[in-house]
Amino acid sequence: MLSILVQKELKNILLSPKFFATFLVCSILILISVFIGINEYKNSVVQFETNQLIAQQDVEQASSWMQVRNIAHRKPTPMQIFVSGLHFDVGRLSGISTFNDVKLVRSPYSDETLFAIFRFIDFAFIVQVVLSLFAILFTYDAINGERENGTLKLAFSNPVSRVQYLFAKFTGTWLGLIVPLLIPILIGLLLLILSGVPVTSSDWISIGSLIALSLLYITFFIGIGLFISAITRKSSLSFLLLLVIWISGVLILPRMGVMAAGQLVSIESVAQLEAKQEAFERARWEDYSAEISETWQARNQEMEGMDEDERRAYRDEKEWEWLEVDDAARKRVQSDIIENNRMLMEESQNKKKVQEQLAFNLARISPVSSFRLAAMNLAGTDIDLKRRYEESMRRYKDDFTEFTQKKQAESGNSGGFRIEVDSNEGVKLDFGRNDQTLDTSEMPQYSAPIVQAGTTLGNSILDFGLLIVFIIATFGGSFLAFLRYDMR
Amino acid sequence: MNNETIKQAPLLEARNLTKVYEDGVKALDNLQLRVHPGEIFAMLGGNGAGKTTTINLFLDFIQPTSGHAFINGIDANADPLEAKKNVAFVSENVQLYPNFTAMQNVDFFVRLGGRHQYKRSDYEAALVRVGLQREAFDKKLKDFSKGMRQKCGIAIAILKDAPAILLDEPTSGLDPKAGKEFTRLVGDLRDEGKAILMSTHDIFRAKEISDHVGILNGGVLVAQKTNAELKGVNLEQLYVEYMAGYMEETLETGPLTNNLT
Ligand SMILES: Nc1ncnc2c1ncn2[C@@H]1O[C@H](COP(=O)(O)OP(=O)(O)O)[C@@H](O)[C@H]1O
Ligand SMILES: [Mg+2]
Repeated sequence: MLSILVQKELKNILLSPKFFATFLVCSILILISVFIGINEYKNSVVQFETNQLIAQQDVEQASSWMQVRNIAHRKPTPMQIFVSGLHFDVGRLSGISTFNDVKLVRSPYSDETLFAIFRFIDFAFIVQVVLSLFAILFTYDAINGERENGTLKLAFSNPVSRVQYLFAKFTGTWLGLIVPLLIPILIGLLLLILSGVPVTSSDWISIGSLIALSLLYITFFIGIGLFISAITRKSSLSFLLLLVIWISGVLILPRMGVMAAGQLVSIESVAQLEAKQEAFERARWEDYSAEISETWQARNQEMEGMDEDERRAYRDEKEWEWLEVDDAARKRVQSDIIENNRMLMEESQNKKKVQEQLAFNLARISPVSSFRLAAMNLAGTDIDLKRRYEESMRRYKDDFTEFTQKKQAESGNSGGFRIEVDSNEGVKLDFGRNDQTLDTSEMPQYSAPIVQAGTTLGNSILDFGLLIVFIIATFGGSFLAFLRYDMR
Repeated sequence: MNNETIKQAPLLEARNLTKVYEDGVKALDNLQLRVHPGEIFAMLGGNGAGKTTTINLFLDFIQPTSGHAFINGIDANADPLEAKKNVAFVSENVQLYPNFTAMQNVDFFVRLGGRHQYKRSDYEAALVRVGLQREAFDKKLKDFSKGMRQKCGIAIAILKDAPAILLDEPTSGLDPKAGKEFTRLVGDLRDEGKAILMSTHDIFRAKEISDHVGILNGGVLVAQKTNAELKGVNLEQLYVEYMAGYMEETLETGPLTNNLT
């Protein structure tokens, strides 16, 4: 009995005129997106490698280790083909130097603004927007359409149980929509393999999980379609309702969640943070120059009453001592500033995390948000992409700074610079310069943070769970509604 | 014939069947009727008389307010799945899946009815029997006329081969020729031993083939006559008079409902 009903649902979908059109559209979209994604990925790999080479050459050509301006680059991942996520929005590189904080700049979209306008169509977008719409298109009249047609009455003049009927309806619709969908997906994966993109086993796990996630997501829309068609009598009404649900679920609720969180937890902008940091820095340097001038006044007082020769002798005698004292004071200022920057940054990032969590949790009233968040998590193009890179770049910066200081010391330089404060010439900085190219063979190399599929899967567990809960709710609702459905 | 059939158990039976809709409309009031194997019971009545309500109660599409509808002795509302094994149904406007061909539709509904043994040739034979043109067998239903759809509907009922058949105004909207053919087919099914409950507006055809005629008015079975009792009676006049509601006392025989209980 069940198989008769399932077969009929399958046949009904496959024979319907809208099926061929939607199947064609989906297939073409998925294949094009994978194809373009692969090209985009390959281009970004070429760019990544070229930029790394250039950065390397720049480092080699620097005249001293203190002069080196190193750059760390964000590494493209094959997963961005399927879920571009924040890939196009996060900067591609950051300068690595002792006195500047790590900051990712030059995102792909900031370099090529044209593409930012309509944004990249990836697999996740197609599933999120196009396939969910198709799922609704195939289910909005699943129950009430059969009532309107009169086929429901004829079917139920036979010994058919309602539970069986609805279960078959779901199974048939699911198979009819999902199986054809797997065809372009598999072709897309084949394309990925043939194009020679290096896909690690961890990536494969992520891709598999992404496909499973997409199936869950579409299942939810099949469920909501069934549910709405089982609580309404007219398919025109259920279509309208579903359209409203789709628009709010896909386009509005996720944004509302994020906007609401923005209103509820206010955090300072990057500009505000930087202004705060700069203000501290300025104040600290002002303190420092006041301190220095006091010190010098004290030193001058010590020399009061001496004649010119005595003064010179005294100065020569004290020079290194004074220099060390001044240097220590300067270093204190610098470490204070770095410490303060770190503290402010951490504070702001903690606040940001609170805001993010709130935003995501609010957005999660729509399962669309769960899909999106989990998809980006799986692909590693999630909100933490920037943080992950900045953290690993900061660690690298520390290694790098340590290394350059060691090198600088080895090359016979104090590693600092000499500051002379002169009433005529003002402050004068003096670096110890030398003119050979640098041997970078021992220099630590930056390597991108690796996120294993296990971790990303763990991070997406909540969203997988939520999707499943939503699916169960829609199916439970459909069954309850259909058990009481008036067939006439 | 009457004596003989009464001994047999009725295949379709309404016992004190009453339906009051949620909005308070009393669509059926204490209906009593029995249809035995080899009988056609024609329910006559205007729009809103309660004919479709009766048939919906037999099919468990609605629940009775009180009373019972039995199919082959099984309470249709207590054990609908078992009851529906014993009944085939043709609605006043048979609707099938528009994207399926006649064959595919027949195949689906017949197998849903629990008949898996048929081959294509059996389906063809049934469709030929109901008078569907061969060219239409593999055409999609969306191009079918109402008459063609009714033919598919009766073919499905024939193939289900259930002992009882419910027909809800099956000939309304058909042209006279198609209506006549349909009626002849129903008569044949009766002759094969089916118990048939048919609602209709068509007084003449009802009189022509029915074993019993019941007149339903406002949910009340105001008259019930056997074919023998109708010999020489102007059924049209009787119908109109009953519908007007003033013949009950003057007609000697009175509603046959009393004889049944
Ligand atoms: N779902 C319903 N809710 C309320 N009243 C109904 C419903 N269905 C039918 N009725 C009423 O019940 C009466 C009998 O209807 P019906 O059985 O369809 O008549 P018929 O088939 O003889 O034309 C009518 O007055 C109709 O308006
Ligand atoms: Mg009716």
